[in-house]
Amino acid sequence: MSTSRILQTSARRALIRPTSLVAKFAPPAAFATNTHYVQRRQVTQQVSQSTGEEILAKQRLRRPVSPHLSIYQPQITWYLSALNRITGVALSGSLYLFSAAYLASPLFGWHLESSAIAASFAAWPIVAKVLTKSALAFPFVFHTVNSLRHLTWDMAKQITNKQVQQTGWAAVGATAILTLYLAVGL
Amino acid sequence: MASALRPTLIRQAFAAPAKQLLSRNASSLGPAARASLLPQVRAGLVRDALPASRAGFHATGAKAILTPLPETIQGTVNDPAPVPPPSPLHGSYHWTFERLLAVGLVPLTVAPFIGGSLNPAMDAVLCAALVIHSHTGFTSCITDYIPTWRMPKIRKACDWLLKFATVIAGVGLYSFETNDIGLTAAIARVWKA
Repeated sequence: MSTSRILQTSARRALIRPTSLVAKFAPPAAFATNTHYVQRRQVTQQVSQSTGEEILAKQRLRRPVSPHLSIYQPQITWYLSALNRITGVALSGSLYLFSAAYLASPLFGWHLESSAIAASFAAWPIVAKVLTKSALAFPFVFHTVNSLRHLTWDMAKQITNKQVQQTGWAAVGATAILTLYLAVGL
Repeated sequence: MASALRPTLIRQAFAAPAKQLLSRNASSLGPAARASLLPQVRAGLVRDALPASRAGFHATGAKAILTPLPETIQGTVNDPAPVPPPSPLHGSYHWTFERLLAVGLVPLTVAPFIGGSLNPAMDAVLCAALVIHSHTGFTSCITDYIPTWRMPKIRKACDWLLKFATVIAGVGLYSFETNDIGLTAAIARVWKA
């Protein structure tokens, strides 16, 4: 018998030996009032290879899915990266929609010539103009400014965590100023 | 000596209550004790938003948006993930081409703000670059969000839809460039209207 085994056994005996009245009378009381537990061992079953595969396949079908986006802490790093794609899709989607609409405009009698759009836009109230310009300028400015960061990372520069955060906030600031300038100042 | 004792002591002290809490078979409990114990067990193990069968795996609640499709198994359970055949056209060359295009778009984007608008030739170059850049961008989105191994038919449909849309956009922009005053000039005109 090894030393540690002897120690374990004696420690277990020391624990089992009743040391107080509660310890002495609790087990019989539990039996008498039917509040004790009976420990049952899990019985293992021998199954064939194919049955085992089936059980495994069923378990695989109930595998957990990876955590959703919203469990991650909001951080400037991945928020701007996501926003870069969102603004890009918005810009490209607008371009595609306008091109398709321009191509289809003779069929429906729409007037999408620049002169017609400019004439109708000029008649809008100033608030609507500024809001529309902001809505168009924001994705354009952000995607342009943030793309410079992405292109910098592609050269493996400015790539430490701190630098990414700093350039990220710089991009946010530049986007705010330039969007405001395009919407109001230009 | 302490290290030799510790596991046994800890096991003795904690094993019994833990087993009681986790045991599914509480039939040896009195009804009152069972009623008081089971809500505790449930609260500890099961989140309300999840089916009981999956609760053991999950530590967070279910999210309603972009719920994944049901799990499927192709082949047998222990097949390795298939590795696509390597191709420089879909790898490094493709990547480099995309970067060159993006870098090229920077001066084309900035120039109109300095010169007022682009000349027709540069405007056509800008439009072509924008269409290709948009196409590769949309391709990346489709590749990321609609994987072939999961939704092969929707993926194929989206790929063709994008090709169709890009052709339409290209033809539409060509029409605009040849009939109108050019993209940058048109934007400047509307912007200053």
